[in-house]
This record gives sequence, C-alpha cells and structure tokens, in this order.
Amino acid sequence: MPRSLWNGTIAFGLVRVPVKLHTATESKSISFRERHLSDGAAIEHRRVCVAEDREVPYSEIVKGFEVSSGSYVMLTKEEIAAAEGPEARVIEVEHFVDGQEIDPAYYERAYYLSPGQLGDDAYRTLHSALKTSGKVGIGRFLFHGKAHLAAMRALEEVIVLHTMRFADEFVDPRELEIAIADKQPSKLEIDAARLLIDQLVSSFEPDAYENTYRAAVLGVIEQKARGEKIEVPESQQQTGEGELLSALKASLEESHVRKRRRPAGGTSRSGGKAPRSSGGTPRSSGSDQPSSKAAIHARRRTRGEG
Amino acid sequence: MARPLWSGSLSFGLVNVPVVLYSSVRDRGVHFSQLHESDGSPIQTRRVCALEEREVPWNEIVKGYEMEDGSWILLSDEDLAAAAPRKSHTIDIEAFVQEREIDPIYLDRPYLLVPENESAARAYALLGEAMGNSGRVALGRFVMRAKEHLVSIRPRGELLTLTTMRFHDEVRSSADVAAEIDAAAVPGREQIENAIAMIAELEVPFEPAGYRDEHRAHLQRLIKRKQKGQKISVASAPPKPKPKPEATPTAPDLMGALEQSLARIRGESTEAGKKKAKKTRATPPAGRPSRSSAKRSS
Repeated sequence: MPRSLWNGTIAFGLVRVPVKLHTATESKSISFRERHLSDGAAIEHRRVCVAEDREVPYSEIVKGFEVSSGSYVMLTKEEIAAAEGPEARVIEVEHFVDGQEIDPAYYERAYYLSPGQLGDDAYRTLHSALKTSGKVGIGRFLFHGKAHLAAMRALEEVIVLHTMRFADEFVDPRELEIAIADKQPSKLEIDAARLLIDQLVSSFEPDAYENTYRAAVLGVIEQKARGEKIEVPESQQQTGEGELLSALKASLEESHVRKRRRPAGGTSRSGGKAPRSSGGTPRSSGSDQPSSKAAIHARRRTRGEG
Repeated sequence: MARPLWSGSLSFGLVNVPVVLYSSVRDRGVHFSQLHESDGSPIQTRRVCALEEREVPWNEIVKGYEMEDGSWILLSDEDLAAAAPRKSHTIDIEAFVQEREIDPIYLDRPYLLVPENESAARAYALLGEAMGNSGRVALGRFVMRAKEHLVSIRPRGELLTLTTMRFHDEVRSSADVAAEIDAAAVPGREQIENAIAMIAELEVPFEPAGYRDEHRAHLQRLIKRKQKGQKISVASAPPKPKPKPEATPTAPDLMGALEQSLARIRGESTEAGKKKAKKTRATPPAGRPSRSSAKRSS
C-alpha cells in the first residue's frame, strides 16, 4: 500500500472529500555524491557561523530574510507559522476549467489522490463527475510550507492532482535577447519542412522513449572501474543559411529510407559508439542495465528515490 | 537578465539550429537565509574534505559513484559528456505528435528555446512556422546537467518553448492507489449527476493570472512589519481566507451537501448574472481572474 505524503480534504461547494496524497512520479536518474578530486574522500557540508568562524548545530539556526545586502530580519518558527495561519489542510476548489485551455507550462508536479477516512463515496462521486465532464478542478492549498495552485482531474480510476505554477512565476520573453532572422523562411523551405514533419508524425507512445543515458553512464563507470581511458568525440556544426533548403531536401530523402525501419524513439543518429560498446544496446528493454556490479547497484539505488 | 542553462543545437532532419535554453520560470517564493540565533550572523555552508579536514573549492569537487564493493568511481564532466556525446550537444527531433495525446503527468519543467545567433534565426523560425498551429509538438531527447531529458517543443508566438518530460518508467502506475478505493462504495446516479451539475455551474475559462500566491504576500507583509520593529504575535496573524470545519468522524451526508451547494450556487448566479440566461456560468468569486495572456508568458 502506497505511503501518503499528506492528508487533507477537497472542498467543493459544501461537499468535503477526504483525500490522501501520493507521489505519481519518481526520478530514475543515477545519483552521485560529491567527492574530493585529489583523494576521493567524501565532501561534508558544514554550517559555519560567519562571525565566530565555527560550526554550529542545527538547533542554533533560525530563519532570516535579507532585506538589503548583509542586513537580515530574523524570524522565529512561531512567527512564520503565524503568517501561515492555521494549517487548513483543505484544497478549496474554486473553479472548473477545460483542461485543453491550460498551457502545459503551468503543470508542475503530479500526485495521485486516494480517498481518506470515510471518503470513498465522496471520492468516487467526484471522480465520476470529473471523468464524465472531462473538466479539471482548480484550487489552492498549502503543502510543505508553500502555497500551491492545484489542478485535479480524473485519470483512469483515480483523481490526479497537479501542483501548478502561478502566472507571475513566468519569465517575460521580452527580457531575453532574441536574435531575429533578417530574412524569413521562404515558402519553398516551409513546404519542405512540413513534408519532413509529416514523415515524422506518430502517436505518442511513452515507452518508445527509453532513457539510454543511464546505461551509457553506467558503461562509462565500468570503463573507469577497469582503468580505461574515456574519450570524447567531436561535435557537429550548424546548417548555414544558404544550405537550409538542400539540408531539408536531403533530410526528406533520408527519412523516406529510414521511416519504415525505425519508428519514433530510434537511436540511429545519437550516441556515437562510446555508450554501446560498454553499456549494451540501449534500445532493447532489458539491456539498459548491464549485468554488472554497477548496474545492480544502480537499480538498488534508483528505487529508493522519489 | 537570465543566463542560458544549456547551449547546443536543435536538429531536425539534417538541419542543425544552434540554440540556447532559458528557464521559462523563476522562483518567486520568499527565500530565507539561515542565521545563527545568538549573534544573528549568517550561516555559511562550507564544503569540507572529510579526510583532510579542510574546505575545498568547487573545482576540486567531482561526482562520485559508489560501487557495490564500497569503492568510489570519480567522474568528471568530460567523462559524463563522453557517455552521450551527441545528446549532450544536440536535441534530436525524433517525432511529431499531437499535443493533446501527451498526458500532463509526463510534463516536468518549461523552458524557452532561443536561436543562438542571427544566422540561426531563420532555420529556427522555419521550424515554428512549419509546425504552425497544427496542434503538433516535436519530441526529442537530450542530456543537460548529467541527466537525459525527453522533451516536447511547441511554437508559442514567435518562439519555441521546450518542456522537459518524465520517461515512462518515472511515472508510477495508478493501480496501487486505485486498489485503495473501496469498490463497494458505488455512488448513486443522482449523486454523480448533481456533482456534474456543480462542475458545470463552477466552470470558467482558465485565467491563471487570477490566482495569486497569497501565502507569499502574507510572508512579505510579515517581514515588512518585523523590519519596522513591530512585534508579531500569533494571535494578530492574518487569518486564512477560508477556514474550514474539521472532518467529522461519521460519513457526511453527501447527497444533502450536493443539493445544498447546487441551490446556493444557482441562487447566487441568477442574482448576479441574469443576462447569461442560457448557459448559467457561475459568477466567479471575488478576485475573478482577469483576462491576461497565459500563452504569451509561457
């Protein structure tokens, strides 16, 4: 039975749905530790009082807010709690929206909700209503000391909650320096690019895209463990402006040849030779974890994350 | 001014476009520093070699991977780049799919993809132009900061935005959670219909600018008061916008709650919006989202 991260209530009109929050995602990246280059020793993080130049225990540390350079306002835990108010543990559904209107950039982290105590009937009612209407509930709640905008929707048999970004967290692209083309692409180029897109259209099948890097890194780790030298191949150059159309045409020809053989998710052009020789063939599902010490260890370790 | 997080090329067929990647979002949260309680001076985190007992600079720190026998393999950035030389420098577009086919559960972080220089700008514009408003996004993979990312790229105005995505094995199955739901608790037809009616009453267009982080504002006000030397008492703290009654130990009357809610919402919406006779849109509560273009900023 999955462990829950948070217990609370979805409030929707006068209806209360007790829920438990579970993580829906987990990172499978290889995790590293900081080590000292010269002696391989562990790196420890020590909290040091700048004035006294000595390490201080956690119990002597409080929170401060830097109001101007070097000047801090000190806040106690109680004061921060006071600002937060009583922890309501309620996700107040304010509106329902059409999920198609939500720009994907707003979605942050995904969680699964399960019914809390005596909540099965209410949970299933809300789930059915969300599923039938296809709508997404929008609300706000406090979680981990932070206010989150949340979107709730039905997925399969459960309700998914996404924490969402607030609108003012987005960077205004006008703040960036963006190079502008002095000449717009020609109709001929656009038509060729569209043809190329058509060649590459497929349906989204998440498991067609494996993380091949994990296996490649484990391969490098094994090479290093055997004392082999690691070499970095060179990279490629950009397509010149004048070559755009010919590059598109050549791509179209190439893609006609390749298309039937390798659907989306192929690794035909990536990787070079380094990873495969040591990491196994990245595509086949069982082999991204070579049968070796490092791989077994990685499996053990990645499972613990999230 | 933001700095790019990655630079490399976006590869589409045999077309390579040099690009740089910026985060689309910046953390607007209130950030606290650690202070030493007795003297109020800042706390510094020092990285210390456990063997030599001395602080070490960044350039002496590498990534370590622990082998099963307890030995450590040290990896430099070059070693990691060698694991995937092409992917470390190139986002290869592998396919185009309909955006609506991608479940939001796969989405991770949003970025802006920008042409690196003027000569790259035309090929960059070409990709956006060719994708147009087909509803399609480009899918690709690349390596950034020693991690491989599945990404989707979509045009937004003149720009291309990139969203990192989770690999399929990083999304947990919902089956374990579904197994916790009492299969016997089948809600009545009427109950579900009332809930659907409530959803319809509360439906509005998604206007993200209307939802503000009030918690952040509370903290900022608190800091201002403290800065002026005012004392913060727990009692005088601003109350939560809507304090809620606690959960009752017995199963509540769900049908009654639904009916009352509906009556209340409908009463309110007929008073406030008689003009919208046909599809009764619930009048959004105070702080109604103002029309603002979410699309522009993402």
